[in-house]
Amino acid sequence: MSREREAEALDERILATIEAWHHHNRPLSDAEFDDLALAIFAYQLRYDTAYAAYCAGYGLSLAALPSTWREIPPIPARAYKEAAIAAFPIERADLVFESSGTTLGEPSRHYIEDRRLYDAALLAGFERAMLGDGARLRYLLLVPNPAQRPHSSLGYMMGRVAALFGDGETGWYLDEDRLLVDAFIADARDACDRGQPICLAATAFSLLHLVEAFEERGITLQFPGGSRVMETGGFKGRARVVTREELYARASRAFALPIDRIVAEYGMSEICSQYYDRPGSEIRIADASHRIKYAPPWLRTRALDERERDCPPGTVGALAHVDLANRSSCLAVLTEDLGALVDGGIVLLGRESGAQLRGCSLDAEDLRRS
Amino acid sequence: MTALASVPLRRIAAAIGDAAARWCDADFPPRVRATGSIVERTGYSIPAVEFALDALFGELRADALLETILRELGDMEALDAPGARAYPLGRIAILSSRTTIGVAIPAMCFALCAKNDVLIKDREDALVAAFARTLCEELESFTSALEIATWEGSREESRLHDVRLIVVFGNDATIARVTAEHAGQARTIGFGSRTSIGYLDATTQSKNALLDAALAGAARDASLYEGEGCMSLHALFFERSSACEPRELAIRFARAMESAATEFPVGERSAANRAAMLQARNLAAFRSAGGRGGAFCDDALTYLLLLDPSESEPPPFLPRTVAVLPVDSPEEIARYVERHALPIECLGVTGTPRSYTEIAERIGAARIAPLGEMQRPPLRAHHGGRPRITEYVRFLDIDGDRE
Repeated sequence: MSREREAEALDERILATIEAWHHHNRPLSDAEFDDLALAIFAYQLRYDTAYAAYCAGYGLSLAALPSTWREIPPIPARAYKEAAIAAFPIERADLVFESSGTTLGEPSRHYIEDRRLYDAALLAGFERAMLGDGARLRYLLLVPNPAQRPHSSLGYMMGRVAALFGDGETGWYLDEDRLLVDAFIADARDACDRGQPICLAATAFSLLHLVEAFEERGITLQFPGGSRVMETGGFKGRARVVTREELYARASRAFALPIDRIVAEYGMSEICSQYYDRPGSEIRIADASHRIKYAPPWLRTRALDERERDCPPGTVGALAHVDLANRSSCLAVLTEDLGALVDGGIVLLGRESGAQLRGCSLDAEDLRRS
Repeated sequence: MTALASVPLRRIAAAIGDAAARWCDADFPPRVRATGSIVERTGYSIPAVEFALDALFGELRADALLETILRELGDMEALDAPGARAYPLGRIAILSSRTTIGVAIPAMCFALCAKNDVLIKDREDALVAAFARTLCEELESFTSALEIATWEGSREESRLHDVRLIVVFGNDATIARVTAEHAGQARTIGFGSRTSIGYLDATTQSKNALLDAALAGAARDASLYEGEGCMSLHALFFERSSACEPRELAIRFARAMESAATEFPVGERSAANRAAMLQARNLAAFRSAGGRGGAFCDDALTYLLLLDPSESEPPPFLPRTVAVLPVDSPEEIARYVERHALPIECLGVTGTPRSYTEIAERIGAARIAPLGEMQRPPLRAHHGGRPRITEYVRFLDIDGDRE
């Protein structure tokens, strides 16, 4: 069988899995997940020489395949910065996403052979998590505009969502890194006047800036009932941060919106699928309260200790995702995020910050910035 | 008039030396108690803490204090009346935040030798307060000269209203904050974030015994204090040489790191550190699979050596993690340091330290030391490249006096 036929056959299986959950709420059993994950892994060993060489270090090859998805070696996310992680000729890429440069140096590049997988995964996840009521919303977006940042996965995602589920009046309010506050307020007021429910999607940093602008001007808006906010993380690399609780409380005041209408999405440019949290799912981990984030059934996560063993539930480790929608790149990715597995989902504690160096006086963050 | 104004310098130095000598005894009850508190605060193993206390108090001898003062001030009588030409500033504050073990103590001792009144912000382990009690037993005047206190975060404003100088050991943000808050009232001397690197020349690599000794020293320098000190080794450069292949060198260094972990067992690590080490190891393994460099470690990630990582990235600054980089000449070290704007405290070398003066100056290092001795700075060493006592005095010059 040619590579193309193999890829097509796998994609059909993955799309069917996504479709079954998206429209029929059909879960994926452990055996089904294993079966599909191991088939994708074998395909990637065959056609991604960089990943195959990496797996050889784990003693894995087409002649020595793992027996469960948990044994699939997660590739470090930073490898996407250094090599083309692709199980297909990258000149045939349908989509190329680049990281937003949250760490020093080159951005990572995620080559995707067929956008159907990406679209299906993102739309299913978004619709189930954010549009349970089937609402047709006005999308006011404080995320990268695809017209300016065509390689932003977040911009692409929200563009697709707004095109399919929006009211036709989508607005983008980031001009490169500049927040278009006046335009946002004008459009949001228009939606409020018309009673049109809003979906405000923003990185945490943009949301904070917007809320601060509201506070400085002394204004609030009464978002129409059914409105919601999707916060997509994004304090990484920023000098100024506030706690999520504070951010949500201030956003809630600015938009007269209950806090339980604010949902956090968690994704990364190196995987195709996303987690979403659920208001009311709070749990205490590492002496703090966190909402639980839930994944669609084709995305599973491990929390790893330094020996790359699975941490017990509730114990903080390095998060490694296995995303079946990553057929054309690498399905297992070791992230730089810390988190813990909890009842049916994960708790995200943010990016690993590295050593808490004491020095005399040596501080790792200072040195990394220098 | 400060509390120590009329006490002769030699008496002050002797009292400090005598107190430190008592702390050199590992069974001295205050030291035993402090050791436990430091282990609790830092998470370091007991042998690492014992090493730190031995190094700290072993250097605080009266003769070493006086020798350092003589080098800086020119004569022993400079601080003593009649005829003194260097006077105390008055009241000095020393703040240490997120630092390794006892960094405030040498600064405190020199500030006392300069006859200042000294306010110290102590850490949770109360090491400074415990040593201060011993000092006061040796010389009663210290009771009036010293104030040891603890307070939360930035609530020092009221305590510092009358100080002339603030010495801050902390991260860059802390130093900037303290400097800004007290501008116009007190001068600030900041000891900010710094790191250390090492170099192995081809000559060392050509002799097995020399190489193994150097790597054992480098392993100790990298392992102590879990890589958290400004004298901790984070990058080891080695001259490309036919005498020892890079992988062979890394394997031998790995063996040395394992031995160092026996002498100084691994301390507690945060989840963030563990995760960052795993990420660094796997990235190095990925690069190795592609034909570049490699990761050398044990299963438990007790240590991690990153052979030939990308020169476009700085050392990872993780516990017991060292970037091992081949170079053709020390010039490449300078380029690496400049590229990443690394503030270098110590350059660890083999052979004759003086022969590395040029490169040390180029990279802004404050000290050149033999590998294995990086974490044992002599008392006279200029921490952060700064003088030990000169900044704690004001000079009075009288025109017409004979030089």
